[in-house]
Amino acid sequence: MSTAQSLHQSRKRKNAVMMALCVIAAGIGLAWLALILGALLYKGLSGVNLAVFTEMTPPPGDAGGLLNAIYGSIVMTVIGIVVGTPIGVLAGTYMAEYGRFSRLTTVVRFINDILLSAPSIIIGLFVYELLVRPMGHFSAIAGAVALSILVIPVVVRTTEDMLNLVPNALREAGTAIGAPRWVVIRSVAYRAALSGIVTGILLAIARISGETAPLLFTALNNQFWSSNLNAPMASLPVTIFQFALSPYEEWQQLAWTGALIITLTVLGLSIIARSLTGRREDR
Amino acid sequence: MKPMLSTDLNAPDTTVEKAKIEVKNLNFYYGQSKALKDINLSLPERSVTAFIGPSGCGKSTLLRVLNRIYELYPKQTAEGQVLLDGKNILDRSQDLNLLRTKIGMVFQKPTPFPMSIYENIAFGVRLYEKISKAEMDNRVESALKRAALWSEVKDKLNASGLSLSGGQQQRLCIARTVAVKPEVILLDEPASALDPLSTAKIEELIDELQADYTIVIVTHNMQQAARVSRQTAFMYLGELVEFDRTEKIFTSPREKRTQDYITGRFG
Repeated sequence: MSTAQSLHQSRKRKNAVMMALCVIAAGIGLAWLALILGALLYKGLSGVNLAVFTEMTPPPGDAGGLLNAIYGSIVMTVIGIVVGTPIGVLAGTYMAEYGRFSRLTTVVRFINDILLSAPSIIIGLFVYELLVRPMGHFSAIAGAVALSILVIPVVVRTTEDMLNLVPNALREAGTAIGAPRWVVIRSVAYRAALSGIVTGILLAIARISGETAPLLFTALNNQFWSSNLNAPMASLPVTIFQFALSPYEEWQQLAWTGALIITLTVLGLSIIARSLTGRREDR
Repeated sequence: MKPMLSTDLNAPDTTVEKAKIEVKNLNFYYGQSKALKDINLSLPERSVTAFIGPSGCGKSTLLRVLNRIYELYPKQTAEGQVLLDGKNILDRSQDLNLLRTKIGMVFQKPTPFPMSIYENIAFGVRLYEKISKAEMDNRVESALKRAALWSEVKDKLNASGLSLSGGQQQRLCIARTVAVKPEVILLDEPASALDPLSTAKIEELIDELQADYTIVIVTHNMQQAARVSRQTAFMYLGELVEFDRTEKIFTSPREKRTQDYITGRFG
């Protein structure tokens, strides 16, 4: 056999080995995901019925639903997004547009990255000190504030990244036609980066809708229906946490169902986010 | 047959023309490094001037001074004077947005805005004029006709500007620039990313536009400069080596460096 041939053979062998390792690694990763989804579907699906969406969380030993927890999750998530998104988008805009060359941007980006990876329980404790202690009680408002603090770094990061992807040539073109800077940002840069920015917001929703730790210290939980933002409020993650740890079978079943609902919601949002980003890349 | 591109070598000498833009003792810096050295030149009104020279000679930099677009970036500074109709546009009091409505610019890469063909043109007009829908329709149509694009897009004005081909996108950018009624149009290698057919269309367009606009074109392509321009400036290492009528530059340049460049000895 010639040298070239034997080199080719050994390369092929190495390729086969490395390929096998990669497939195994990917398989392990996917297997866990499949197991989790499978277990959730298996245990959760059987508990899905109309009562889940129409009745309150029951006392131990009783039948009931998750309506107050679903409602609480939606309310606090919406407030968290409504408060956090504008701050995040504006900060990201400053960093990518006005402050592109400034030192402040470097500092803010560094701090934002720390905030992005901060354990959410720390955020919960922070809001506990900031709002719950002075107010004297747990409240949905405090929960929403904790969630919005989690939203901000995600949105800042994606907004900045997406605006940085907009070619400078496009900004120059907007400027060259006589548009003031803010018009160039609003009508040209935002438009070009829109799907990416929206994706970031969807990812933020996905992130906070499953957060438990920051809510434990802030919104606590509520066994009953409450739409009072100044009072403790139930949420899906906290309810799951509490019910899953309980010895009661009905509660455990509701925890599985709740987990399934959150997972499917987050999955749905991720798919929407993916398809939005995908469409941008198609162009 | 009518020549497609007119650079008539036997045209009467028209050097005594009104200067639209006069550049006086212009120096330009990127941070500490000097990119333009004491440039002096005068661009006649309603006529095409070409800037040629090897990469990095400062021709694009000079173009970018004329509408002060360089100010988007920090650490870029210009010293000296650039007079537009006798008024120094490098003056601090100059309103930059108004300046850019008077001096339009088209870039090397086509840069349609991420919006419809119609909106691409209406966008610039709307910034400084309040006109009715019917007037705007007319404006868009005439701009697209001016850029020889109307017949190709008249049935899909609501399609995205990004859906057009490269050559069409570039003509859309020219239409967009023309629509705001500038006095000067700066072209930064407008055809270098295009195929020969689209290039020919753009050159034809430049030839037609010079009846109404003062045009400055930066190009790597010497044949293009020879075809479209009336005056040519040859730049080298940040200096203006020679500025004269195009046929003079290409047939009997005064400077040896110009001669060497146009005969392909370097660059």
